[in-house]
Amino acid sequence: MPLLSRGKRRAAARPASLAAIALAAVVVLAAAALGGSAAGGARTPQSALAGTPGFGDMSLKQMIAERKSVPVPKKVPKFSGKVTVMGDGGHNMNVFGFWWPEWKKAGITLKAVEVPFADLYSKEKAEFIAGTKAVDLVVFYPAYIGDFASNGYLRPLDDYIKKYNPHLNDVITAFRKLYLGWAGHTYALPEDGDVHIYIYRKDLLNNASEQAAYKKQYGRKLTVPKTWDEYLQVGKFFTRKAGAKLGGKTLSRPFYGCGEYGQRGFSWAWFMDRFASAGGVYFDKDMKPLIDSPAAIKALNNMRDAVKQCSPPDVLNFGYDQLRDCLIKSQCFQVVQWTDVPKKGADPTQSQVHGKLGYGLLPGTRVGGKIVSRSMMPVGRVLAVTKNSKNPEAAYWVAKYISDDVSYFNVSTPADGLDPYRYSQLKPKYFKVFRSTADASAYLAAVRGVLEHGFPEIYIPGAAQYEDALDLAVNKVISGQETAPKALGDAAKSWNDITDKLDKKHQTELWREALKNYKALGLIK
Amino acid sequence: MAVSLRNRLTRPRPRRAPLFAWLMVLPTVLVLLAVTVYPLVYSLRESFYRLELTFSPVATWVGFDNYVKAIRHDPRFWHALGRSFYLVVLGVGIELVLGLGLALLISRLGRLRSLVTALMLVPVMIAPVAVATEGIVIFNNSWGPLNYLLDEVGAHGPVWLGDRSVALYTILLADVWQWTPFVAIIMSAGLRTLPEDVYEAARVDGASRWGLFRTMTLPLLQPLIIVTVLLRSMDIFKTFDTVYVMTGGGPGDATETASFYTYLQGLRFFSFGYAAAVSYIQLAIISVVATLLVRRMRKGLG
Amino acid sequence: MIVAALAFFLLPVIWIALTSFKTQGEVFSYPPVFWPKGIGNFTHYSSIFGGQGGHALKDSLVVASANTALSLLVGVPTAYSFSRFRVGGDHLAFWILSIRMFPPVVSAIPLFLLFRDWGLLDTYWALIIAYLTFNVPFVVWFVKGFFDDLPRDLEEAALVDGANRWQAFAGIALRLAVPGIVTAALLAFVFSWNEFLLALFLTRSEVRTVPVALANFVGGHEILWGQIGALTILAILPVVVLALVLQRYVVRGLTFGAVKG
Repeated sequence: MPLLSRGKRRAAARPASLAAIALAAVVVLAAAALGGSAAGGARTPQSALAGTPGFGDMSLKQMIAERKSVPVPKKVPKFSGKVTVMGDGGHNMNVFGFWWPEWKKAGITLKAVEVPFADLYSKEKAEFIAGTKAVDLVVFYPAYIGDFASNGYLRPLDDYIKKYNPHLNDVITAFRKLYLGWAGHTYALPEDGDVHIYIYRKDLLNNASEQAAYKKQYGRKLTVPKTWDEYLQVGKFFTRKAGAKLGGKTLSRPFYGCGEYGQRGFSWAWFMDRFASAGGVYFDKDMKPLIDSPAAIKALNNMRDAVKQCSPPDVLNFGYDQLRDCLIKSQCFQVVQWTDVPKKGADPTQSQVHGKLGYGLLPGTRVGGKIVSRSMMPVGRVLAVTKNSKNPEAAYWVAKYISDDVSYFNVSTPADGLDPYRYSQLKPKYFKVFRSTADASAYLAAVRGVLEHGFPEIYIPGAAQYEDALDLAVNKVISGQETAPKALGDAAKSWNDITDKLDKKHQTELWREALKNYKALGLIK
Repeated sequence: MAVSLRNRLTRPRPRRAPLFAWLMVLPTVLVLLAVTVYPLVYSLRESFYRLELTFSPVATWVGFDNYVKAIRHDPRFWHALGRSFYLVVLGVGIELVLGLGLALLISRLGRLRSLVTALMLVPVMIAPVAVATEGIVIFNNSWGPLNYLLDEVGAHGPVWLGDRSVALYTILLADVWQWTPFVAIIMSAGLRTLPEDVYEAARVDGASRWGLFRTMTLPLLQPLIIVTVLLRSMDIFKTFDTVYVMTGGGPGDATETASFYTYLQGLRFFSFGYAAAVSYIQLAIISVVATLLVRRMRKGLG
Repeated sequence: MIVAALAFFLLPVIWIALTSFKTQGEVFSYPPVFWPKGIGNFTHYSSIFGGQGGHALKDSLVVASANTALSLLVGVPTAYSFSRFRVGGDHLAFWILSIRMFPPVVSAIPLFLLFRDWGLLDTYWALIIAYLTFNVPFVVWFVKGFFDDLPRDLEEAALVDGANRWQAFAGIALRLAVPGIVTAALLAFVFSWNEFLLALFLTRSEVRTVPVALANFVGGHEILWGQIGALTILAILPVVVLALVLQRYVVRGLTFGAVKG
């Protein structure tokens, strides 16, 4: 029997007119939707409201105003048509807006497509697999150059490089040798020289009472840590409870000696800083994983101790932003971070510690009497032209313009997160965000130093899988879930599985090619 | 206003459905064949291939290798699966108990009942992704409101997202927050359909409140409870959005669920063949569980 | 007790609303700012509308509306047929219900490959079609319940008067079931509006629904919590309002008709 009583049914019938309206609205909207998508999805991300392209994190007017004082070349080549660029969204897309008038002058309509930072690789890969011709220029993390170039998704740039010189000799060696080419061809131009740098609180390190207390406690002078062991010791020394004194002032909240990237995703790079400095590398020449060696275990235990003994309690949830804030909101004494963080730290609108930061090489490991320092080069950004591009020359020119002609502005402005990668960019006058030339010089000397000690990501096909397996192991250990030998042993096993799954013979060939570059750079013997 | 499934399933059926009836069903069957059955067949085929798109677009036939690997050599998958089931059991249990409790409270409200029900619907309607983005703020240890408030009242809140022994429960808490009201609303609707006169009689006979609840209310609500368990367990098993946004599977592998692991294999690593095999194993397990529950439901109703 | 429960369930939502008026500094301050200075200042809302959030809201609206319309078109006749003729018996009906239970991650990869072949990736169609997997079964089951509740006398009388079956369905039953159909529409809309995983798989840049846009916001380097709060409020406002308006039917809908509130 029907369950609705008569009274109920009447009640139900009341919203009928409202219902009819809603139904009609749905149908109309649906019709509009179908019409819209039938038009071929040619919608540009142009916002009619603001009159600006929908990318970056500022309005187009602001972006152009930002670089007003930068002299630009008078003459530009003539192109036509559209160039579509895909990159990770947010402030790093601003570069395509800074130079909007130049694209116009060259006859190019630029269209920017933003995807999330963490999914840039998957989204671009999906685009390539789908075989669309929708994207001309890709911003990507160079760890994937092996994947993209060996699968034929990218266009070799050698011819264009002859035609429009991007001055690659000026690019800092590690970057040039490791991240731009594949199998003898150049496929990419640098856009962002991501590398780890060591940042610490200079004011606290030089504080007389802290100096005295450290000397009393450890029997040696408090200096910038040269080794990871010293890093840990200094970190423990500066870890204080709320109510304790720090640099003569009473703390209202706890203060920590270290900060690490503890979140799943990139924590492995903070481990590799330590392991690479002990001479570690990912595989041997036969693709045997080396990440479970005694040196690796020691390196990981150092990181675990830093997490446990001198980092904030929520450090395992720290990504880039929380790790940066920990430093610039005065919660941590020292961090290893990407090289844009000192710029943010020098900016009084964001930072509570401006003028108080020191920068330098990462702590290292003593190998045969000498201290070796290595700086991971995680992420980084390069620009490449897609194989399917219908407008490759114009796309290349846009890349080259950003990578070379006006690059010093792109890497020095606080309006984006791009970092230096050319020798010619390392001039204090470009880095006005620092209050003094001395501070800017110190920063640039450090940047140059860490770039010269740069250590690359895995960058052969499968990088995402290898790095995920390693990251899982690192994260298990720093979260106290497993011991380093167990977790790294499992990761090595996973790496073998991945290699076998992808094709061991092929992977070995590619890896040996990579090893040659490592050797040429002196990263391994 | 009762549990209507009973009614639907016991209605006498006409002898034979006319052609017209079949024509009306046809679009649905065709659509579902196209958007679910065809992909399922497609991916069943895929699961017997090695298809590693980071390496090459060429697929190689490998027979049952992907399944053997997933079942025998991939502890990470089994841990993820175990975690998903743990979430299901715990989540459904908590939501059911809290939901029933709340429903009993709600059913005693007079005129306010409908207002309270309306307000309780708010969390249910929110996109899980939005719950997760706000979770990041609320659970933040350095500047989030939750631990600040806990500190103010003298309780020391845990590190919600950065502690491996807590993070999975934080994911669970987000689900409990969002879905307990849903269970409560269902149960309170169910409570209203219970025959008042039988209760009166039992009370006159001196039955205790708890006795009444145990011997009368629970059995009468049983069909509803089974439906709720079915709906909630299937949804919790799919837990992905909150993990993707709040923890990325960490710390360690503390919050890596089966859905998240499948996502990694599929769209992060582009191991389509393996991801398909892993999906199929999950599908098989879910089908068995769901069939058992649905059979229980049909039996309970028939 | 009930007040405490309501506080537990509603305070986080209120916190989101307050966050949407905060400056970046207020978000990060400790102790947390509970009452932002700029309350009633809709800067974040206007920048959301002007930027990606506006597009996301539009994309979500288009996808959810079109999918809802299509789901009704396909599902309502089936619901009627099940209710009146029990086509295929319980097996077909339960088969359709079981599809609603599939974890989306299982169908995501095949759909990705399928849409790649059809050239539908990153179009509205991809999501409009993909969401049929859960919304058609939902509509069938939910609307079937409403048809079950309608007396057959009117239709039978019409048939005796010489109307054909289609006329009996479209002219009588459909009209009487409008409240149920509208509720089904609203809930199907909500399900589409809130979906994340398939949207993440099947679209990239041309189409970006609100949940994907929200997840993007927290993935970046500079996390703008005020704007996230604003987008969240904009995302939940429509569905919450819809739910409140049709409260009684919503309960029924969420249980696939098992409960009539």
